[in-house]
Amino acid sequence: MGLARKESTFSDEDGFEDEDVSELNEEVSESESDSEGEEDVKLAEPSKQAVYNRDGLEEKLQDISWPENAGWIHKLTIDIDQEQEVDVNDDLKREASFYTQALEGTRQAFEKLQSMGLPFLRPADYYAEMVKSDAHMEKVKRRLLSEQKEIEEAAERKKAREAKKLAKEIQVQKTKERAKQKKEEIESVKKWRKQRQQSGFAGEVDKGELDLAFEGGKSFERSNKKRPGVSPGDRSGGKARKSGGGDSGKGKKKKNRDFRNSKFGFGGKKSMKKQNTSDTTDDLRGFSKGDGAGNKRRKR
Amino acid sequence: MGKKRKHTEIIEPTKKDDSVTEERPKRTLLGWKDKIEIKETEAPGVFRNKEKVLVTCSRRINFRYRHLMLNVVSLLPHCKKDNKVEAKSSKGATLNELVELKSCSSCLFFECRKHKDLYLWMAKSPNGPSVKFLVNAVHTMEELKLTGNHLKASRPLLTFSSNFGKDAHWKLIKEMIIQIFGTPKEHRKSKPYHDHVFVFSIVDDHIWFRNYQITVPHNESDKVARGGLDKMTLVEVGPRFCLNPIKIFGGSFGGPTLYENPFYVSPNQIRALEKKNKAGKYAKKVKAKTRRKMHELSNPLEPDEFADMWKE
Repeated sequence: MGLARKESTFSDEDGFEDEDVSELNEEVSESESDSEGEEDVKLAEPSKQAVYNRDGLEEKLQDISWPENAGWIHKLTIDIDQEQEVDVNDDLKREASFYTQALEGTRQAFEKLQSMGLPFLRPADYYAEMVKSDAHMEKVKRRLLSEQKEIEEAAERKKAREAKKLAKEIQVQKTKERAKQKKEEIESVKKWRKQRQQSGFAGEVDKGELDLAFEGGKSFERSNKKRPGVSPGDRSGGKARKSGGGDSGKGKKKKNRDFRNSKFGFGGKKSMKKQNTSDTTDDLRGFSKGDGAGNKRRKR
Repeated sequence: MGKKRKHTEIIEPTKKDDSVTEERPKRTLLGWKDKIEIKETEAPGVFRNKEKVLVTCSRRINFRYRHLMLNVVSLLPHCKKDNKVEAKSSKGATLNELVELKSCSSCLFFECRKHKDLYLWMAKSPNGPSVKFLVNAVHTMEELKLTGNHLKASRPLLTFSSNFGKDAHWKLIKEMIIQIFGTPKEHRKSKPYHDHVFVFSIVDDHIWFRNYQITVPHNESDKVARGGLDKMTLVEVGPRFCLNPIKIFGGSFGGPTLYENPFYVSPNQIRALEKKNKAGKYAKKVKAKTRRKMHELSNPLEPDEFADMWKE
């Protein structure tokens, strides 16, 4: 019977609230836009028809409550004062208030239990069924670990990015410096040449030649003189003998190529290289004395 | 097995003695007329909590809400889980019957409507009261963000925010929560340690529920000094939910309404409003378009005098 009555009161209320609905409209749309769909909406002002039977409530409370002599140990309840009103929509503050309530409550409860001389923390060797299964806890652990790993990786990436940026900057600075140095050197040489010209010290013969060389932009052309350590027929300029001495810095490929050139010959005379001389005929390094596999085979 | 039997044999005679010496309380077919009196008469001076909670849900419940119910079941060792109940208008009677059949003294009924809205009925069985809540902001224990864990069936500490003492209906709800969510002392499934806390806090006229595990640094777990208690930390175990009281009834699952939340708007109404707003959007657009057209028709542009200047 009570249920039927309840339904009727509900429908009644609905009819009543239809008037409020129109004025609620704006407010609702606002609050819905910024909050989740789950969040509930409150009426702006309390509806006047709401039942509040204070006496009935108190009577019921008297009815159901436990007798006075029921000790605290039966209830295990702690009341905690909330210091200030908590804003519901501020998740962090709200959760923090719950946490502090729980922590404070546990402290007080433990003090009470301690004064009663009752055990309250489980000993380390007390194993029993837990609320969450081991499989689930494993999942939780894995997630925590992966989260941590992700954070670390992100930090590393960030670091690398910054280092790269820095390296780039340094490189730019270096190239600038180098260019500057080069310029300065050229300048100084020019200056020196001017001075010399003015003083008229140098011989007039090679002066014109030098001028040409500088004004053509080629600094310090190779002289035609014989270089030490290079045979007159060697077109590779002595590189062939150095065997992979080419370190122009263009990388591995260049180095490799240089080495091969030195080994198999590139540039220079070919004809004289491939002939035997007295030295090569005396050289017996390529032969073994022959006490290896052949002898053994014969014994057998 | 043999041990157990002995135990019961020892206990029974004392009980019988009590009942013989005291007057036997009146029992009706539906249970005891007045429970508390009986408790007092059974063992004078000694209070024994024999709370049993029936936990069920309605048919066609959402998986999420069902999981929430199962979590609650795992938190309450003194509860009995039962089959789903059809949420018809006569569900109150069937539930009352069911509670009696299971010899429980209170009931938690999770009612899911439209696969979206969860209502929680909290009822004391034979003669009331019962409270109907709307449940919001549900997080189950399965969520991986809730990293705590605690013993199954250890007795929880219940902490309440002080504003439960503010009003009569809050006081009543608090008493019901204490009786339903607190595990009875010396319950046969309960364990003698306390390693989790329930938080019931009223914020914004809603009751927020949290469950935390209590962790104390390891080496001090045997003997806890004051320093150890200071280092105590809490880890959330879950579940989380938020209860919005709608009504309090005098009887169990029915009876006279004692309290009605004056601020309550049902989720159906909220959705209807939302829909209305959405529908209004299009209508407004069409209206604006026609109005514009009418405006253009009523004040036509003046003929441009330089219109055919470059035509020649």
